[in-house]
Amino acid sequence: MADVLRVSGLSKHYGRLEAVRGIGFSVRAGEVFALIGPNGAGKTTTLRMVATILQPSAGAIELDGIDVVSDPASARARLSYLPEEAGAYKSMRGREYLRFMAEVFFDDRERQTESLASAAEISGLGDRLDDKIGTYSKGMARKLLLARAIMTRPKLAILDEPTSGLDVLGALDVRDTIKEFTRSGMAVLLSSHNMLEIEYLSDRVSVIHQGTIHATGTPAELKERFGADNLEEVFAEVAR
Amino acid sequence: MRRFLVLLRKEVKELITPQILLPFVITIMMFAVIGQVVGAEGEEAAANRRLALLDRDRTEASSALRAAIEGAGFTIEEAADDDAGEAARALSASGGSILVVVPEGYGAALGDATPARIEVYSVIRTFSVMSGQDSAALSAALLQVEQTVAQEVMTEHAAAIDPAFIKDPLAVVDHVMVGDRQAQVSRDTVMAFISTQTMLVPIVLFVVVMFAAQMVAVAIATEKENKTLETLLAMPISRSAIVTAKMMAAGLVALVSAAAYMVGMNIYMKGLMEGFGETGTSTSAATAFADQLGLTLGVGDYAMLGLSMFAAILVALVISLILGAFAENVKAVQSLITPMIVLLMVPYFVSMFVDVNSLAPVARWTVLAIPFTHAFLAAPNLFLGNAHMVLLGAAYELAWFAVLVVVAGRIFSSDRLLTMRLNLAKLKKQR
Ligand SMILES: Nc1ncnc2c1ncn2[C@@H]1O[C@H](COP(=O)(O)OP(=O)(O)OP(=O)(O)O)[C@@H](O)[C@H]1O
Ligand SMILES: [Mg+2]
Repeated sequence: MADVLRVSGLSKHYGRLEAVRGIGFSVRAGEVFALIGPNGAGKTTTLRMVATILQPSAGAIELDGIDVVSDPASARARLSYLPEEAGAYKSMRGREYLRFMAEVFFDDRERQTESLASAAEISGLGDRLDDKIGTYSKGMARKLLLARAIMTRPKLAILDEPTSGLDVLGALDVRDTIKEFTRSGMAVLLSSHNMLEIEYLSDRVSVIHQGTIHATGTPAELKERFGADNLEEVFAEVAR
Repeated sequence: MRRFLVLLRKEVKELITPQILLPFVITIMMFAVIGQVVGAEGEEAAANRRLALLDRDRTEASSALRAAIEGAGFTIEEAADDDAGEAARALSASGGSILVVVPEGYGAALGDATPARIEVYSVIRTFSVMSGQDSAALSAALLQVEQTVAQEVMTEHAAAIDPAFIKDPLAVVDHVMVGDRQAQVSRDTVMAFISTQTMLVPIVLFVVVMFAAQMVAVAIATEKENKTLETLLAMPISRSAIVTAKMMAAGLVALVSAAAYMVGMNIYMKGLMEGFGETGTSTSAATAFADQLGLTLGVGDYAMLGLSMFAAILVALVISLILGAFAENVKAVQSLITPMIVLLMVPYFVSMFVDVNSLAPVARWTVLAIPFTHAFLAAPNLFLGNAHMVLLGAAYELAWFAVLVVVAGRIFSSDRLLTMRLNLAKLKKQR
C-alpha cells in the first residue's frame, strides 16, 4: 500500500538541547507504526511535529501528499492527535465533548452525527457519556479521548501512549478498536512503553534512543536482528 | 466562522461555571444587602436617638433648650448623677453615648447677654460613619438654639442693628466656572455631584478588568495544564479563531458582569442614600447647576466612555492571554498576572487621589503611557468637555491592543506556546 506519512531528516532543538536528530521513517495506509525507546528519547517530540503543533528545526514531513510544515491547515484536516496524558474539559459531559469536537472537525451535519455515533460506540461508556467528564476515572477519560481521536476516521491517527493508565481489559479493548480501524485504511503512528502491546499491535517498529532511530522493522525482524526473544530485549540492547 | 462560533460557545460555557458565578452573585447581593442594612440602620438610628441631660440650671432658658433637643428627635434621659464628672462616668458605663450638661447660671448668662456654657460629653465606641449621626443631630439642634437666642437678645438689646447682619455679616456667594460656563453654586457641591456621578466608573472598570484578565489567563493555563490545548491546536481550526474565541468569551462575560455590578452598586448607593434621607431633595437642584455648567453627559459622551472602557478591557484581555500562555499551570497564573494588576492599580489610585496633569513630567508621562490610565481619565475628561482627550486616549489604547494582538498571534502560531514556560520556582533555584 501507499505511504500515508513520509518523514525525512527530521530534527528538533529545544534551545541547546537537540531532542530529535535527523530521523526518517514512513507509515503506510492501514499500518500501525510504533516508536519505542527510553524516556526522553524524543518520541513525543516527533509525534508533536507530525501533529503540526511543534515546528521542526529541520527536515520534511509529508502527509497524504501534503507538506505538513508549509501547509499545516490541510494536514490538520487529515490527522488526529491524542496527546500523552491529555485531559478533556472537565465541566463538559462526555457526549457534549464529542459533539464539540465533531462540530469543530466537520462542516457537514451528517458527518458530525455519524462520527458522534461511532465515538459513542468506540468509547464503550454507554450511559456514562451523559455524566460530567470530571467524574470519569482515568481509564474512562482515556477511552473517551481515544474515541474522539479516531471518530473522524483520519488518514493518520497519532496516538501518544494510547493505553497508559488503562487496566488489562481496557487496554485489550483499545487495541482491538485500533486494529479494527486500520482495516478500513487508517494509518496509526503511536508510541508506547508496553512491549507486549507493541508486539501485538504494530506492523512495524522504530527503536529511538537519544533522538536517533537505531533500528526499524517488523517485531519479528527486530528480534531476529538483535538475537532476542522479545521486544523488551531489543529495547534494552538499543538503550544500553 | 461556523467553527469560530462553535468554539466561542464552548468558551462561554466553560467560563460560566458555578465556581465563577457564586462569588459574583454573592458580591452583588452583598452590595445590595449592605446598602439596605446600612440604610435601614440609619433610619432606625434616626428614630432612636437618645441622650442624657443634666440640667443644673433649671430655668426657663434651660427648659427651652431641653425642648429644642427633644424637637430634634432625641429621647432625653435624666443624668444618673448630680455631679457632671460622675454623670459622664455613669454614661460611659451604662452604654450611653451623649451627655449634655447645662451648668448653673446658664439662663442668667443669656439674660445678661453674656456667653453661656453648655458641656457635651460624647463616648466614642466605634469609628463608623453611622456613630457620628447622633452628634451631628445634636450639633444642629444646638446651633438652632444659638440662633434663636441670638435673635431674641438682639431684638431686645440692639434693636438698631439688623439681626441678619450680626448673624451673617459677610454673605459669600459662590460662583463656579467650568470652561467658559458658570453657575451660582459652591465648589463643594459641584465636586460632590461629580464624584457621585463618576465614582462607580473606576470601581467597575477595575473589578471588570481584573475579572476578565483572570478568566482569560486561567482559561489558557487550564488548557495547557490539561493538554486540551494540544488537542485543539492539532484540530482543523485557525490559531486566530482559538485566540479570538477565548478573548471574546471573556470579554462578553466581563461586560455582563460589569452591568450586573453597576446594578448592584446602584442598589447599594440607593440604600445608603435612603438611610441618610438624601433621596430626591438635591437631584433637581443638582441638575440645574450641572446643566448650566455643562457637567452632563450626552449619548455621544456615554459612547466615548464605553469605547474607552471597552478598549481597556481588550488590552487587559490580550495581555492576560499572553501571560496565560507563559504559565505552565493554573497556579502560576496568579504570579504571572501580577504585573498587569500593578499596571491597573497605578492609574486607578492616581486618578482617584491626584490630578494626573499636576504630576511631575516624568511621573505624568509614565502614568499616561499606561494604556489603562486613559479609561480611568475618560469620565472626568468627558465632564470637563475634553472629548478629544478621550478619543486620543481610546486610540492609544487601541494601538496597544493592535500591537499586542500581533504579538499574541505570533506566540500562538509558533510553538513557543508549548515550549516556553516560565517556571518561577525554577528561576529562583537557578539564582
Ligand atoms: N518543551 C520542552 N522544552 C525543553 N525541552 C524539552 C521540551 N519537551 C521535551 N524536551 C526534552 O526533549 C527530550 C525528548 O523529550 P520527549 O518528550 O520527546 O521524550 P519521550 O521519548 O516522549 O519520553 P517519554 O517516554 O518519557 O514520554 C527530553 O530530553 C526532554 O527533556
Ligand atoms: Mg513522551
